[in-house]
Amino acid sequence: MVPAVAGSLLVAVTYQVMLEISFYQWTAILAGLLVLFENCFLAQSRFMLLESIQILFGLCGILCTIKSTYKTGVSSVIWLCVAAVSLGCCFSVKYSGLYTYYLALFLVGRQIWRQVGSTESTLRLALAVLWRLIVLIILPVLVYVGVFYAHLAMLPKAGPHDSVMTSAFQASLQGGLASITRGQPLHVAHGSQITLRHTHGRTCWLHSHAHVYPVRYTDQRGSSHQQQVTCYSFKDVNNWWIVKRPEQPSLAVARPPDAIRHGDIVQLLHGITSRALNSHDVAAPASPQSQEVSCYIDYNVSMPAQNLWRVDIVNRDSEDATWDSIRSMVRLIHVDSGSALRFSGRQLPAWGFHQHEVVADKVITHQDSIWNVEEHRYTKAEDRRERERELVSAEMIPTAVTQLTFWEKFAELQYKMIAHAPDAPHGHMFASEPPEWPLLVRSIAYWLSPNSNAQIHLIGNLITWYAATLSVLLYSVLLAVYAIRRRRACADLPIRAIQQFYDAGYIFFLGYWLHYLPYYFMDRTLFLHHYLPAYIFKILLLSYVIDHIYFILHIHEKTKPLTNVFIVCVAVWLAYVVLTFKKFSVLNYGNVNLTESDLMNLRWKDTWDFILHKKG
Amino acid sequence: MVAKKPRSISTSSNKVWWMVFAVVCGATFLTRFYKVLEPDHVCWDETHFGKMASWYINRTFFFDVHPPLGKMLIALSGKLTGYDGTFPFEKPGDKYDSARYQGMRIFCTTLGALIIPLTFLTIWEMTKSLDSTFIGTILLLCDVGFLTLNRYILLDPILLFFMSCSIYGAFKVRSLTDEGYGPFSTRMLAWQIFLGASLACTISVKFVGLFVVLFVGLRTVADLWNVLGDLQKPVSLTIKHLIGRSVTLIFIPALLYVFFFWIHLTVLSKSGNGDGFYSSGFQARLEGNSLHNASAPKLVAYGAQITLKNHRTGGGYLHSHHHLYPAGVGARQQQITTYTHKDENNRWIIKPFDRESVEGVVVVRSGELVRLTHATTGRNLHSHRERAPITAKYMQVTGYGEDGIGDANDVWKIVVSGGKDGEEVQTVRSRLMLIHYLQACVLTTTGKQLPKWGYEQQEVACNPNLRDKNALWNVEDNVFDDLPKVSFEAYASGFVERFLESHAVMFQGNAGLKPKEGEVTSQPWQWPINYRGQFFSGSAHRIYLLGNPVVWWGNLLFLVIFFIIYVVNSVREKRAEAFGTLTQDGKERMLLNAAGWCFVGWALHYVPFWAMGRVLYFHHYFPALVFSSMITGILTEYLLSSVKSYLSPELGRTMYHCVVGVVISTTVYSFYLFSPLAYGMNGPLAHEPNSTMAGLKWLESWEF
Repeated sequence: MVPAVAGSLLVAVTYQVMLEISFYQWTAILAGLLVLFENCFLAQSRFMLLESIQILFGLCGILCTIKSTYKTGVSSVIWLCVAAVSLGCCFSVKYSGLYTYYLALFLVGRQIWRQVGSTESTLRLALAVLWRLIVLIILPVLVYVGVFYAHLAMLPKAGPHDSVMTSAFQASLQGGLASITRGQPLHVAHGSQITLRHTHGRTCWLHSHAHVYPVRYTDQRGSSHQQQVTCYSFKDVNNWWIVKRPEQPSLAVARPPDAIRHGDIVQLLHGITSRALNSHDVAAPASPQSQEVSCYIDYNVSMPAQNLWRVDIVNRDSEDATWDSIRSMVRLIHVDSGSALRFSGRQLPAWGFHQHEVVADKVITHQDSIWNVEEHRYTKAEDRRERERELVSAEMIPTAVTQLTFWEKFAELQYKMIAHAPDAPHGHMFASEPPEWPLLVRSIAYWLSPNSNAQIHLIGNLITWYAATLSVLLYSVLLAVYAIRRRRACADLPIRAIQQFYDAGYIFFLGYWLHYLPYYFMDRTLFLHHYLPAYIFKILLLSYVIDHIYFILHIHEKTKPLTNVFIVCVAVWLAYVVLTFKKFSVLNYGNVNLTESDLMNLRWKDTWDFILHKKG
Repeated sequence: MVAKKPRSISTSSNKVWWMVFAVVCGATFLTRFYKVLEPDHVCWDETHFGKMASWYINRTFFFDVHPPLGKMLIALSGKLTGYDGTFPFEKPGDKYDSARYQGMRIFCTTLGALIIPLTFLTIWEMTKSLDSTFIGTILLLCDVGFLTLNRYILLDPILLFFMSCSIYGAFKVRSLTDEGYGPFSTRMLAWQIFLGASLACTISVKFVGLFVVLFVGLRTVADLWNVLGDLQKPVSLTIKHLIGRSVTLIFIPALLYVFFFWIHLTVLSKSGNGDGFYSSGFQARLEGNSLHNASAPKLVAYGAQITLKNHRTGGGYLHSHHHLYPAGVGARQQQITTYTHKDENNRWIIKPFDRESVEGVVVVRSGELVRLTHATTGRNLHSHRERAPITAKYMQVTGYGEDGIGDANDVWKIVVSGGKDGEEVQTVRSRLMLIHYLQACVLTTTGKQLPKWGYEQQEVACNPNLRDKNALWNVEDNVFDDLPKVSFEAYASGFVERFLESHAVMFQGNAGLKPKEGEVTSQPWQWPINYRGQFFSGSAHRIYLLGNPVVWWGNLLFLVIFFIIYVVNSVREKRAEAFGTLTQDGKERMLLNAAGWCFVGWALHYVPFWAMGRVLYFHHYFPALVFSSMITGILTEYLLSSVKSYLSPELGRTMYHCVVGVVISTTVYSFYLFSPLAYGMNGPLAHEPNSTMAGLKWLESWEF
């Protein structure tokens, strides 16, 4: 519903933008019509997709920026504020909205630059720069942060993608991890049973199992043949470890609990196999430059256990901070070698069940060497009942729901969004490449009716599409010609017209490339709908170029009779655009059962893939 | 120092100029050739480029992601100085012993050393000011990283040398244009040809040379624009300049570039380890390859024994063997893979879909339904609705049936890509698609390696998306007695085809250099701040590629200063224009303009790396470093003369000389401090107190 409204409003906004630039109202109407009869905007706004909202906000922002640059005084301030809010909304919808924001910044910058060239006093100038910058930077950022605030406030419950976030983040949501961790003790102590989560990057837990490293790897290096330690991406009973002070034999938690502090030396016993986490001067299986980490098995082969680890709490507030579950980020430093326990990112082969490798790395500052306790409980002694009652009544320190401030959550969410994006799979059936977009080589199938050949595609109006591409070329040629002519001091056009020509260029031409070029440098799967924000600028450019040609024909005496011919041509072309739109709209509404020959009729390019149900 | 006018023929200042130039050259020579033959073992990437030089000398074909010129020059220098191409260059640290590596190393060092005088000339050409020139050159001269990188058998000294030639040429051409030399005058043409040739050489050493081509392109456009803006001159002058430059800067370099590839492909005439990356037609040119001088029937007929080679670069042959897919990986039927080596198990017999054999000679045509039976095991090529072993979206391809008797899922439609139905299928030439008749999917290889059970051969699967670029195959061997054989010579690709193919393979190779998950790679933001270096040689004689921090951080500071000065200056100018008071004096303008161009050069050689997905290394920053050192040199003078103009003449001159002296001596002293990084360090690492480098580990991340 919202995208549909946004899509409808787009036509009106396009009209307004064009009106700001052009001399003629007809051009604005033409631009509006072209957007109206464009299949791709129709398809995009009929579904719950973000592009049409993004484009609407973006274009509104640009419109208001233009209005603001033409006005002075209070109305200029108001328009710029509206523009800033609108642009903030635009890039809060999708990050590609940032390009629109840059365009607006550029437009305002250009206006300031013009003022610098006028004879205003320096003080006034500085003020003008200052308030514009403040409005353009503060407001969008406020909107952006506000949107995230609303997002987090409205989504307090745990959901399916929790495990992407850190333990602390998850624990601050209702349900999910919080329901497990609520009521678990806060301070890790001697005898604590814990699971250790790799904090940043891939979600996995320190893991071991009753299998040993193969004696020789495929590249003929030897291993210690001790029990494997890995990082496992799923919850498992083998993820439990017991924290133990080296000098204390009993595993039961003392009363009061003997809390582990920053700098303490501990051993970690694997819960199921009771073997201690160990590292030694043997190359790790997949990253030979680091040390192997294993659970120690005493083979009596002059390879003593080196199973002492120093707890290094990264986010401590004091030097004797306690090791808290969830909250503390720790580095485990191997005492004998000084290296840090680290997730290496490499996957082990079949003998390691394709789990991830854990090593001890000499470079201790890497962020993959940070871990945190996720689940936590105190070990109960043999005499369970008594212990249990004691623990419940006295020693158990119930934790409140972890309170992360909004800013911490915000920062984490930003980081995850940036780090997460490149994971998209490659080679999607309907993926396309940026060079294919201007000629509409591929379409995207959105929906196919299960029992007929009715289907919905994201596909553009080919006539407009080609004309728009042509207009970009034409504009570039005109730009070069005018620039060269002007360099030779030849004035072809009246000052106002040339001014308008450059204005249109800065907004539409630059806007187009600003929304299009960056995709060439993106290393991810791209689709046709990424092109739509650029395409709206292209349509505007197209109507401007038509306007400009009319104007040229009009001002020269010789060519004046041709204007009527030109108008007729445009009218015929427009009619053709409307017809094409009508023809292809069956692929946007998806309400008509198409026969095979219908589809073949619509398939104007043999690179377009429509879907046919097999007969029988 | 003497402030000089460019063309004034005052002999004393000329003498000073030559003295300074001589000092720079002498210092360059001393620093570059001191201990140049140490260590006498293979350092860092010498293992690659040395190996490639050996291959050139032995004329065996290989594959590399870089264009050939740099390696050919190394090979040539080796050949001329008596290296025989037998040293294996196996891994860094191998002792050279009796191998004559000296010639190659001295050649690279010589080119590396020439960069410094060239930079001197370039800055002089830009600013005509000896102070800027001297400071800029000294910074580059005293950079330890630059020294280290330019002393070994690597492509970088060669690349940087040609790049410096191009920059020098570009500014020489600019001066000539400004002085009004005609577009076709001998001097102009000579320099333009020099520039064009340097450009061609730069880009033929490494593809990053493209950035300097862009730089020169911008410079040329600016030149033409200036000529055009001179309303005293006719437009035809601009057009003449345009023609002259198109010929010398586009046409001649393109020819040279192709010529280098021609030498490359002609010299490497013997089969080597790079064959597998190239198509059948390409291989037919290589002596010692099984396709060289072989012959086979031109057309494929039913009943022929054929091998099918995948078209993807580095693609293997369709292969099967007596092993089944393990349990849990689709149906337990015989494995189908691609295998890059030639093997008896690559052979398939092509049959019509409904009969075991045909009478007489019936040629296979595009659009016909066929079956492929594996020659040694008698299983049919088969696909069905099961997940492929690795790529879950695709369908599994297996060997099924016994002695050629299978089921309906063994039927494939053979289609010549880009051809019409009914076209005859030709050996090598036809690009074939095999479309599964019932599942409507296309036989393809994903290029992913199968685990141990598949002997690490590559996965073959059936892709329901028929637009798969890797789904093209060609018939390579074709054994059929009843058709006349033609020599493979007929299929061998011509030079143009091979030229284009080697580019396709190189680009694919470059694109394939992606970092793996969790791998620590160098990132562009680390470079200008000299965050982390690179070990060239470990063990006893340690050499560590790291910039001189004084130079690098100074450069970084001046980049920021440049930006500020530029903005302030533009605003000031614009304001002055508005009030109609013009103030800028010529000298300052010239310096700022020169710094501006250097900044453009720096940005062109640095910013694009942010957008690159491939593996990046620290040494990619060094071309940008040349520009940023120039900026520092020029801006130092600019700033000092600005400050000087506020002081009394006496005080101003003293201050000026003091500061220049301090800058130069600090740079030289820091070079002295850090020079062991380049000349070799012994003993304990720097964080231990008794090391020779104690106290110099200024950043935690440096590893020496």
